[in-house]
Amino acid sequence: MELEDLKELLELLKDTDITELQVEKDGTKVKIKREKIFSSLEMPLHKPSAALREKITAEAEEETQRLVTITSPIVGTFYRTPSPEAVPFVEIGAKVNKGQVLCIVEAMKLMNEIESDVDGIVVKILVESGQPVEYGEPLFLIDPV
Amino acid sequence: MKTDDIKSKIKGSIGREIFFYEKVASTNTVASNLAEQVAEGTVILADTQEKGRGRLGRVWVSPPGENIYMSIILQPQIETRDATLITIMAAVASANALRKTTGLNISIKWPNDLIFHERKIGGILTELKTDQKGILFSVIGIGINVNTDIDTFPEDVRKIATSVKKETGKLFSREEIVAEILNEINNWYMILKAMKREVLLAEWQRLTSTIGKEVIVVIGQETYKGFAEAIDDEGMLILMLPSGEMKRIHSGDLTVLR
Repeated sequence: MELEDLKELLELLKDTDITELQVEKDGTKVKIKREKIFSSLEMPLHKPSAALREKITAEAEEETQRLVTITSPIVGTFYRTPSPEAVPFVEIGAKVNKGQVLCIVEAMKLMNEIESDVDGIVVKILVESGQPVEYGEPLFLIDPV
Repeated sequence: MKTDDIKSKIKGSIGREIFFYEKVASTNTVASNLAEQVAEGTVILADTQEKGRGRLGRVWVSPPGENIYMSIILQPQIETRDATLITIMAAVASANALRKTTGLNISIKWPNDLIFHERKIGGILTELKTDQKGILFSVIGIGINVNTDIDTFPEDVRKIATSVKKETGKLFSREEIVAEILNEINNWYMILKAMKREVLLAEWQRLTSTIGKEVIVVIGQETYKGFAEAIDDEGMLILMLPSGEMKRIHSGDLTVLR
Protein backbone atom coordinates (compact mmCIF):
# COMPACT_ATOMS: atom_id res chain seq x y z
CA MET A 1 0.00 0.00 0.00
CA GLU A 2 1.31 3.40 -0.95
CA LEU A 3 1.50 6.31 1.45
CA GLU A 4 -0.92 8.17 -0.81
CA ASP A 5 -3.53 5.40 -0.35
CA LEU A 6 -3.20 5.62 3.39
CA LYS A 7 -3.62 9.39 3.34
CA GLU A 8 -6.72 9.01 1.22
CA LEU A 9 -8.13 6.43 3.60
CA LEU A 10 -7.59 8.68 6.62
CA GLU A 11 -9.17 11.58 4.78
CA LEU A 12 -12.25 9.46 4.03
CA LEU A 13 -12.63 8.46 7.67
CA LYS A 14 -12.31 11.98 8.99
CA ASP A 15 -15.94 12.99 8.84
CA THR A 16 -17.45 9.61 9.70
CA ASP A 17 -18.40 7.93 12.98
CA ILE A 18 -16.19 4.92 12.23
CA THR A 19 -13.84 4.22 15.12
CA GLU A 20 -12.12 1.06 13.89
CA LEU A 21 -11.17 -0.16 10.40
CA GLN A 22 -9.01 -2.94 9.05
CA VAL A 23 -7.88 -3.01 5.40
CA GLU A 24 -5.76 -5.55 3.59
CA LYS A 25 -4.27 -4.82 0.17
CA ASP A 26 -1.40 -6.43 -1.69
CA GLY A 27 -0.36 -8.33 1.44
CA THR A 28 -0.16 -5.20 3.62
CA LYS A 29 -2.46 -5.01 6.59
CA VAL A 30 -3.50 -1.65 7.93
CA LYS A 31 -5.52 -1.28 11.10
CA ILE A 32 -6.86 2.13 12.02
CA LYS A 33 -8.34 2.68 15.43
CA ARG A 34 -9.46 5.96 16.81
CA GLU A 35 -11.38 7.27 19.74
CA LYS A 36 -14.41 9.33 19.09
CA ILE A 37 -13.87 12.76 20.57
CA PHE A 38 -16.99 14.62 21.49
CA SER A 39 -16.89 18.32 21.45
CA SER A 40 -18.68 19.94 24.36
CA LEU A 41 -21.55 20.89 22.07
CA GLU A 42 -22.23 17.21 21.36
CA MET A 43 -22.06 16.16 24.99
CA PRO A 44 -25.75 15.88 25.87
CA LEU A 45 -27.03 12.42 24.86
CA HIS A 46 -30.48 13.81 24.32
CA LYS A 47 -30.11 16.91 22.29
CA PRO A 48 -32.41 19.68 23.45
CA SER A 49 -35.14 20.66 21.08
CA ALA A 50 -34.77 23.87 19.13
CA ALA A 51 -37.38 25.52 21.36
CA LEU A 52 -35.54 24.52 24.52
CA ARG A 53 -32.23 25.67 23.08
CA GLU A 54 -33.73 29.05 22.34
CA LYS A 55 -35.09 29.29 25.86
CA ILE A 56 -31.70 28.44 27.36
CA THR A 57 -29.95 31.05 25.21
CA ALA A 58 -32.52 33.66 26.14
CA GLU A 59 -32.15 32.86 29.84
CA ALA A 60 -28.36 33.06 29.62
CA GLU A 61 -28.62 36.43 27.92
CA GLU A 62 -31.04 37.68 30.52
CA GLU A 63 -28.69 36.43 33.24
CA THR A 64 -25.77 38.30 31.68
CA GLN A 65 -27.84 41.45 31.33
CA ARG A 66 -28.97 41.29 34.94
CA LEU A 67 -25.43 40.97 36.29
CA VAL A 68 -23.47 44.15 36.87
CA THR A 69 -19.90 44.10 35.55
CA ILE A 70 -17.30 46.04 37.49
CA THR A 71 -14.44 47.02 35.20
CA SER A 72 -11.00 48.46 35.84
CA PRO A 73 -10.91 52.22 35.24
CA ILE A 74 -7.11 52.21 34.82
CA VAL A 75 -4.22 50.08 33.56
CA GLY A 76 -2.39 48.51 36.48
CA THR A 77 -1.95 45.56 38.84
CA PHE A 78 -5.07 43.99 40.36
CA TYR A 79 -5.06 43.23 44.10
CA ARG A 80 -7.83 41.47 46.02
CA THR A 81 -6.32 42.42 49.40
CA PRO A 82 -5.42 45.80 50.96
CA SER A 83 -1.90 44.45 51.71
CA PRO A 84 -0.16 41.13 50.90
CA GLU A 85 -0.97 39.40 54.22
CA ALA A 86 -4.48 40.78 54.62
CA VAL A 87 -7.72 38.93 53.88
CA PRO A 88 -9.43 39.67 50.54
CA PHE A 89 -11.89 42.57 50.35
CA VAL A 90 -14.55 40.16 49.02
CA GLU A 91 -15.03 36.49 48.15
CA ILE A 92 -17.38 34.80 45.69
CA GLY A 93 -20.84 34.60 47.23
CA ALA A 94 -20.24 37.59 49.49
CA LYS A 95 -22.95 40.16 49.90
CA VAL A 96 -21.67 43.63 49.07
CA ASN A 97 -23.19 47.05 49.58
CA LYS A 98 -23.07 49.97 47.22
CA GLY A 99 -19.90 51.88 48.04
CA GLN A 100 -18.07 48.87 49.44
CA VAL A 101 -14.46 48.44 48.23
CA LEU A 102 -14.02 45.35 46.02
CA CYS A 103 -10.34 45.54 45.10
CA ILE A 104 -7.33 47.75 44.43
CA VAL A 105 -5.77 48.38 41.04
CA GLU A 106 -2.31 49.90 41.40
CA ALA A 107 -0.50 52.02 38.86
CA MET A 108 2.52 54.16 39.69
CA LYS A 109 1.96 54.03 43.47
CA LEU A 110 -1.58 55.18 42.94
CA MET A 111 -3.72 52.71 44.84
CA ASN A 112 -7.12 52.80 43.17
CA GLU A 113 -9.79 51.39 45.46
CA ILE A 114 -12.74 50.36 43.33
CA GLU A 115 -16.19 50.49 44.90
CA SER A 116 -19.26 48.47 44.03
CA ASP A 117 -21.93 50.54 42.28
CA VAL A 118 -24.73 48.30 43.55
CA ASP A 119 -25.96 46.22 46.48
CA GLY A 120 -25.63 42.58 45.51
CA ILE A 121 -23.84 39.25 45.60
CA VAL A 122 -20.38 38.67 44.12
CA VAL A 123 -20.99 36.01 41.45
CA LYS A 124 -17.63 35.92 39.77
CA ILE A 125 -14.10 37.28 40.26
CA LEU A 126 -12.55 37.40 36.82
CA VAL A 127 -8.89 38.21 37.56
CA GLU A 128 -6.35 36.65 39.90
CA SER A 129 -4.71 38.84 42.52
CA GLY A 130 -1.36 40.24 41.39
CA GLN A 131 -2.21 40.07 37.68
CA PRO A 132 -1.98 43.03 35.30
CA VAL A 133 -5.26 44.47 34.05
CA GLU A 134 -6.10 46.71 31.12
CA TYR A 135 -8.28 49.78 30.98
CA GLY A 136 -11.92 48.66 30.91
CA GLU A 137 -11.15 45.01 31.72
CA PRO A 138 -14.00 43.24 33.58
CA LEU A 139 -13.02 42.38 37.18
CA PHE A 140 -16.21 41.31 38.99
CA LEU A 141 -19.73 40.19 38.17
CA ILE A 142 -22.26 41.30 40.76
CA ASP A 143 -25.82 40.00 40.98
CA PRO A 144 -27.81 43.02 42.15
CA VAL A 145 -30.48 42.52 44.80
CA MET B 1 3.89 71.43 64.80
CA LYS B 2 2.47 74.94 64.63
CA THR B 3 -0.38 74.92 62.14
CA ASP B 4 -0.82 78.71 62.45
CA ASP B 5 2.72 79.13 61.12
CA ILE B 6 1.83 76.98 58.13
CA LYS B 7 -1.51 78.69 57.50
CA SER B 8 0.12 82.15 57.53
CA LYS B 9 2.26 81.06 54.56
CA ILE B 10 -0.51 79.39 52.52
CA LYS B 11 -1.29 81.14 49.23
CA GLY B 12 -4.02 79.03 47.66
CA SER B 13 -6.85 76.68 48.57
CA ILE B 14 -4.60 73.71 49.33
CA GLY B 15 -3.90 73.75 53.06
CA ARG B 16 -6.47 76.39 53.99
CA GLU B 17 -7.91 73.80 56.36
CA ILE B 18 -5.41 71.74 58.37
CA PHE B 19 -6.21 69.06 60.93
CA PHE B 20 -3.22 68.35 63.15
CA TYR B 21 -2.91 65.22 65.29
CA GLU B 22 -0.19 64.28 67.76
CA LYS B 23 -0.56 60.64 66.81
CA VAL B 24 -2.53 58.79 64.15
CA ALA B 25 -2.49 55.29 62.71
CA SER B 26 -1.77 56.78 59.29
CA THR B 27 -2.57 60.23 57.90
CA ASN B 28 -3.88 58.57 54.71
CA THR B 29 -6.38 56.52 56.70
CA VAL B 30 -7.65 59.60 58.55
CA ALA B 31 -7.84 61.55 55.29
CA SER B 32 -9.72 58.76 53.46
CA ASN B 33 -12.30 58.62 56.22
CA LEU B 34 -12.84 62.40 56.08
CA ALA B 35 -12.49 62.86 52.33
CA GLU B 36 -16.17 63.03 51.44
CA GLN B 37 -17.10 65.41 54.30
CA VAL B 38 -14.48 68.14 53.99
CA ALA B 39 -13.46 70.77 51.46
CA GLU B 40 -10.99 69.98 48.72
CA GLY B 41 -7.46 70.87 49.77
CA THR B 42 -7.97 69.89 53.41
CA VAL B 43 -4.74 68.61 54.95
CA ILE B 44 -4.20 65.97 57.63
CA LEU B 45 -0.92 66.44 59.47
CA ALA B 46 0.52 64.30 62.26
CA ASP B 47 3.52 64.39 64.55
CA THR B 48 3.84 60.62 64.41
CA GLN B 49 2.16 57.65 62.74
CA GLU B 50 1.71 54.30 64.43
CA LYS B 51 1.03 52.54 61.16
CA GLY B 52 2.68 54.74 58.55
CA ARG B 53 2.53 52.76 55.36
CA GLY B 54 4.02 52.51 51.92
CA ARG B 55 3.24 50.36 48.91
CA LEU B 56 2.07 46.77 49.47
CA GLY B 57 1.62 47.18 53.21
CA ARG B 58 5.23 48.25 53.77
CA VAL B 59 6.01 50.35 56.83
CA TRP B 60 6.91 54.04 56.67
CA VAL B 61 9.14 54.70 59.69
CA SER B 62 7.50 57.63 61.50
CA PRO B 63 9.40 58.81 64.61
CA PRO B 64 7.62 61.64 66.50
CA GLY B 65 8.39 65.33 66.21
CA GLU B 66 11.07 65.22 63.52
CA ASN B 67 9.55 64.62 60.13
CA ILE B 68 6.59 65.40 57.90
CA TYR B 69 3.65 63.02 57.67
CA MET B 70 0.76 64.53 55.82
CA SER B 71 -2.14 63.76 53.52
CA ILE B 72 -3.93 66.09 51.15
CA ILE B 73 -7.54 65.51 50.15
CA LEU B 74 -8.46 66.25 46.53
CA GLN B 75 -11.67 65.73 44.58
CA PRO B 76 -10.34 66.07 41.04
CA GLN B 77 -12.82 66.31 38.18
CA ILE B 78 -10.66 64.41 35.72
CA GLU B 79 -11.05 61.09 33.93
CA THR B 80 -10.07 58.12 36.11
CA ARG B 81 -7.62 56.94 33.46
CA ASP B 82 -5.70 60.22 33.88
CA ALA B 83 -5.42 59.75 37.65
CA THR B 84 -1.80 58.58 37.45
CA LEU B 85 -1.01 62.22 36.69
CA ILE B 86 -1.91 62.96 40.33
CA THR B 87 1.19 61.05 41.45
CA ILE B 88 3.30 62.84 38.84
CA MET B 89 1.90 66.17 40.07
CA ALA B 90 2.64 65.32 43.73
CA ALA B 91 6.23 64.37 42.89
CA VAL B 92 6.87 67.52 40.88
CA ALA B 93 5.41 69.76 43.62
CA SER B 94 7.28 68.04 46.48
CA ALA B 95 10.65 67.96 44.68
CA ASN B 96 10.40 71.66 43.80
CA ALA B 97 9.38 72.58 47.35
CA LEU B 98 12.26 70.61 48.86
CA ARG B 99 14.75 72.14 46.44
CA LYS B 100 13.57 75.64 47.38
CA THR B 101 13.48 75.17 51.14
CA THR B 102 16.52 72.94 51.73
CA GLY B 103 18.80 73.82 48.83
CA LEU B 104 19.35 70.11 48.21
CA ASN B 105 19.27 68.98 44.60
CA ILE B 106 16.39 66.54 45.13
CA SER B 107 15.41 64.39 42.15
CA ILE B 108 12.50 62.08 41.34
CA LYS B 109 12.86 58.34 40.90
CA TRP B 110 10.03 56.92 38.78
CA PRO B 111 7.26 57.28 39.54
CA ASN B 112 7.49 59.55 42.59
CA ASP B 113 10.22 58.75 45.11
CA LEU B 114 12.09 61.83 46.33
CA ILE B 115 15.78 61.05 46.07
CA PHE B 116 19.05 62.64 47.12
CA HIS B 117 22.29 60.91 46.06
CA GLU B 118 20.37 57.71 45.30
CA ARG B 119 18.82 57.59 48.77
CA LYS B 120 15.17 58.10 49.55
CA ILE B 121 14.46 61.33 51.43
CA GLY B 122 10.70 61.27 50.88
CA GLY B 123 7.93 59.05 49.61
CA ILE B 124 4.46 59.55 48.17
CA LEU B 125 1.58 57.10 48.31
CA THR B 126 -1.61 58.20 46.60
CA GLU B 127 -4.97 56.63 47.22
CA LEU B 128 -7.86 56.99 44.83
CA LYS B 129 -11.46 55.98 45.39
CA THR B 130 -13.55 55.37 42.28
CA ASP B 131 -16.77 53.75 41.18
CA GLN B 132 -17.80 52.97 37.61
CA LYS B 133 -18.83 56.58 37.04
CA GLY B 134 -15.50 58.14 37.99
CA ILE B 135 -13.33 59.57 40.74
CA LEU B 136 -14.89 60.07 44.18
CA PHE B 137 -11.76 61.47 45.83
CA SER B 138 -8.02 61.17 46.03
CA VAL B 139 -5.67 61.32 49.02
CA ILE B 140 -1.99 62.15 48.49
CA GLY B 141 0.15 60.88 51.35
CA ILE B 142 3.57 62.49 51.66
CA GLY B 143 6.32 61.50 54.07
CA ILE B 144 9.55 63.51 54.27
CA ASN B 145 12.55 62.66 56.44
CA VAL B 146 13.48 66.14 57.71
CA ASN B 147 15.21 66.38 61.09
CA THR B 148 15.48 62.70 61.81
CA ASP B 149 18.73 61.00 62.72
CA ILE B 150 18.80 58.32 60.04
CA ASP B 151 21.13 56.18 62.19
CA THR B 152 18.18 55.46 64.48
CA PHE B 153 16.24 53.82 61.60
CA PRO B 154 16.08 50.04 61.19
CA GLU B 155 19.15 48.77 59.35
CA ASP B 156 17.39 47.73 56.13
CA VAL B 157 15.86 51.22 55.86
CA ARG B 158 19.10 53.01 56.80
CA LYS B 159 20.84 51.59 53.73
CA ILE B 160 18.36 53.14 51.32
CA ALA B 161 17.10 56.22 53.16
CA THR B 162 18.39 59.63 54.14
CA SER B 163 17.10 62.83 55.75
CA VAL B 164 17.46 66.56 55.17
CA LYS B 165 19.41 66.79 58.44
CA LYS B 166 21.77 64.00 57.42
CA GLU B 167 22.55 65.67 54.08
CA THR B 168 22.81 69.30 55.25
CA GLY B 169 23.94 68.88 58.86
CA LYS B 170 21.22 71.37 59.80
CA LEU B 171 17.75 71.35 61.35
CA PHE B 172 14.92 72.77 59.26
CA SER B 173 11.49 74.23 60.05
CA ARG B 174 8.97 71.54 59.19
CA GLU B 175 6.25 74.20 59.03
CA GLU B 176 8.13 76.04 56.29
CA ILE B 177 8.63 72.90 54.22
CA VAL B 178 4.98 71.84 54.65
CA ALA B 179 3.75 75.29 53.57
CA GLU B 180 6.01 75.27 50.51
CA ILE B 181 4.86 71.77 49.48
CA LEU B 182 1.20 72.83 49.83
CA ASN B 183 1.78 76.01 47.79
CA GLU B 184 3.57 74.02 45.09
CA ILE B 185 0.72 71.48 45.03
CA ASN B 186 -1.72 74.37 44.69
CA ASN B 187 0.13 75.58 41.56
CA TRP B 188 0.70 72.20 39.95
CA TYR B 189 -2.81 70.98 40.75
CA MET B 190 -4.20 73.90 38.74
CA ILE B 191 -2.06 72.78 35.81
CA LEU B 192 -3.34 69.22 36.25
CA LYS B 193 -6.98 70.33 36.42
CA ALA B 194 -6.49 72.32 33.23
CA MET B 195 -5.09 69.05 31.78
CA LYS B 196 -1.89 70.74 30.64
CA ARG B 197 -0.42 67.29 30.54
CA GLU B 198 2.68 68.23 28.58
CA VAL B 199 3.64 70.99 31.06
CA LEU B 200 3.41 68.57 33.97
CA LEU B 201 5.29 65.77 32.21
CA ALA B 202 8.03 68.14 31.03
CA GLU B 203 8.59 69.32 34.61
CA TRP B 204 8.74 65.73 35.85
CA GLN B 205 11.25 65.02 33.09
CA ARG B 206 13.37 67.98 34.25
CA LEU B 207 13.43 66.70 37.84
CA THR B 208 13.89 62.96 37.32
CA SER B 209 17.09 60.96 37.73
CA THR B 210 15.61 57.76 36.25
CA ILE B 211 15.34 58.43 32.52
CA GLY B 212 18.43 57.53 30.50
CA LYS B 213 19.62 54.99 33.06
CA GLU B 214 19.91 51.21 33.16
CA VAL B 215 17.26 50.03 35.62
CA ILE B 216 15.72 46.91 37.12
CA VAL B 217 11.99 46.79 37.73
CA VAL B 218 10.40 44.08 39.88
CA ILE B 219 6.68 43.55 39.34
CA GLY B 220 5.31 40.72 41.46
CA GLN B 221 7.14 37.57 40.30
CA GLU B 222 8.61 39.22 37.21
CA THR B 223 11.83 41.19 36.84
CA TYR B 224 12.71 43.39 33.90
CA LYS B 225 16.14 44.84 33.23
CA GLY B 226 16.46 47.53 30.64
CA PHE B 227 17.06 51.11 29.64
CA ALA B 228 14.63 53.72 30.97
CA GLU B 229 13.72 55.45 27.70
CA ALA B 230 10.95 57.85 28.67
CA ILE B 231 7.56 58.17 30.28
CA ASP B 232 4.39 58.12 28.19
CA ASP B 233 1.54 60.62 28.39
CA GLU B 234 0.08 58.89 31.47
CA GLY B 235 3.46 58.88 33.21
CA MET B 236 4.07 55.17 32.69
CA LEU B 237 7.66 54.08 32.18
CA ILE B 238 8.85 52.99 28.75
CA LEU B 239 11.63 50.46 29.18
CA MET B 240 13.82 49.26 26.32
CA LEU B 241 14.61 45.61 26.96
CA PRO B 242 17.93 44.06 25.80
CA SER B 243 16.01 42.50 22.88
CA GLY B 244 15.14 45.99 21.66
CA GLU B 245 11.50 45.50 22.59
CA MET B 246 9.78 48.44 24.27
CA LYS B 247 7.95 47.47 27.47
CA ARG B 248 5.41 49.73 29.14
CA ILE B 249 5.71 49.50 32.93
CA HIS B 250 2.69 50.53 35.00
CA SER B 251 3.89 49.56 38.49
CA GLY B 252 6.68 47.88 40.39
CA ASP B 253 9.86 48.52 42.36
CA LEU B 254 12.56 50.27 40.39
CA THR B 255 16.29 50.26 41.08
CA VAL B 256 18.66 52.46 39.07
CA LEU B 257 21.81 50.55 38.09
CA ARG B 258 23.92 53.37 36.69
